[in-house]
Amino acid sequence: MMPPLGILFPKDLNEALNALALNQENVHIIAGGTDVIPGLNQESNRFKNTRLLIDINKMPEVKGINVGTEKISIGAAETFSDILQNEVVQKKLPLLWKSAGTIGSVQIRNRATLAGNFVNNAPCADSVPVLLVYNATVEIESLSSKREIFLNDFLSAPYKTKLNKDEIVTRINIPIPSKKFTGDFYKLGRRRAVAISRITLAMLISLNDNMIDEIRIASGAVTPIGTRFFDLEKFAKGKKIEDQFLKELSKMLGEQIIQVTGLRWSSEYKLPVVQQMFYQLLKGIERGSL
Amino acid sequence: MEVRFKLNGKEEEVTTEPYLRLIDLLRDYFNLTGTKEGCGVGECGACTVLMNGRAVNSCLVLAAQANDSEIVTIEGIAEGEVLSSLQKNFLTYGAVQCGFCTPGMVLSASALLDQNPNPTEEEIKDAIAGNLCRCTGYKQIIEAVKETAKETIE
Ligand SMILES: Cc1cc2nc3c(=O)[nH]c(=O)nc-3n(C[C@H](O)[C@H](O)[C@H](O)COP(=O)(O)OP(=O)(O)OC[C@H]3O[C@@H](n4cnc5c(N)ncnc54)[C@H](O)[C@@H]3O)c2cc1C
Ligand code: FES
Ligand code: FES
Repeated sequence: MMPPLGILFPKDLNEALNALALNQENVHIIAGGTDVIPGLNQESNRFKNTRLLIDINKMPEVKGINVGTEKISIGAAETFSDILQNEVVQKKLPLLWKSAGTIGSVQIRNRATLAGNFVNNAPCADSVPVLLVYNATVEIESLSSKREIFLNDFLSAPYKTKLNKDEIVTRINIPIPSKKFTGDFYKLGRRRAVAISRITLAMLISLNDNMIDEIRIASGAVTPIGTRFFDLEKFAKGKKIEDQFLKELSKMLGEQIIQVTGLRWSSEYKLPVVQQMFYQLLKGIERGSL
Repeated sequence: MEVRFKLNGKEEEVTTEPYLRLIDLLRDYFNLTGTKEGCGVGECGACTVLMNGRAVNSCLVLAAQANDSEIVTIEGIAEGEVLSSLQKNFLTYGAVQCGFCTPGMVLSASALLDQNPNPTEEEIKDAIAGNLCRCTGYKQIIEAVKETAKETIE
């Protein structure tokens, strides 16, 4: 049962921020509602005692996919379907485009927003590893402040972020990687559509001849939250991309995942799968680039 | 609160509680019981309706969020007593057994055909991946959609 609550449809950001400043307790922003509505309906703890929803879909500040020369800026009200329909995103941010197509079902993608996905910060938020390897930043506003921080710093723990109660995420900014980069996104889930993903990996790599110039690696779902592997990335820099090294790197990724997860019950069977997946991603790129 | 929207082609204006879900408004207020509730959490697609031409789960939309939009339910797909060609093909190809998933399936498939009149089998599967059917095994449904696309193209 839906609990009795009110809903506001602010016409712009200022009106929404004012409403937030007045009612910080028991208020939730709602964008696509694909987390909020079932959460309310099932009386989930995260949405307990909600009295007011603030719907951001009528606010121009959180709309639109703006393409610049250096970055693409995605409004917080843009849905995964909006992203899938954008040809520039498909071309310039292929991993984001690919991951968007794996979210839920058509019906979910028609409502669910990219911003809602990482603000919710479920371990299985599929867009997160991809946004992390793109070095995405999050634009956040309150009545008294405006800041932009790396998504990697924004995410703090499962279902927790650095967002303050009086703040709204307005946009996600993604630097367009230089042409040297290739990469891939992989999701292993239970069922074709509405699968809660069990393992996701994203990787971007730029090669110079046969040498790794730069590599960025992130995982989701196996780790408690989406995680970048900076140590591993540093280690791989300058190394030759050859089979023996790719195997070693895959093994190290597994070890690092054990470190961050502190061995969860599911790691035992996930781990070999992750290592194999990562190895296959690397091999795919090796094949494509040689 | 006041909600104004176009429902199956007709302008409507209703006063509802702000926390009412769209599915409840459609079924309980407008008596449009073709829209079914299966899971209530976005997983089965039985509650699918079109919102501004896009398939959405009406159990995941608040009635208030439908303000100013255009909603089509299964009741708006047929022309009076005359079934759409998609609906006819569902019958011809045996794509309906218990029928619980059918309204949602038809709406997902018609949203697909509106946007993409000549879909591949993969595209059809993707379009109905959010609609569960426990009876048919999907094959007949996919055939019905394919045939409809073929007829429309011809
Ligand atoms: C059936 C089903 C299948 C799903 N499948 C997948 C899947 O395959 N992969 C996946 O990753 N997820 C999946 N999800 C989860 C969900 O759809 C996503 O997390 C979605 O992206 C959330 O976005 P939303 O706009 O619907 O969020 P909402 O429900 O509107 O909001 C989610 C949270 O973020 C907050 N919020 C939203 N926007 C802002 C903002 N701009 N500023 C501040 N706070 C904000 C809300 O207050 C709330 O706490 C699925 C959900 C369902 C119901
Ligand atoms: S009832 Fe809405 S998706 Fe199942
Ligand atoms: S016909 Fe029974 S669920 Fe599809």
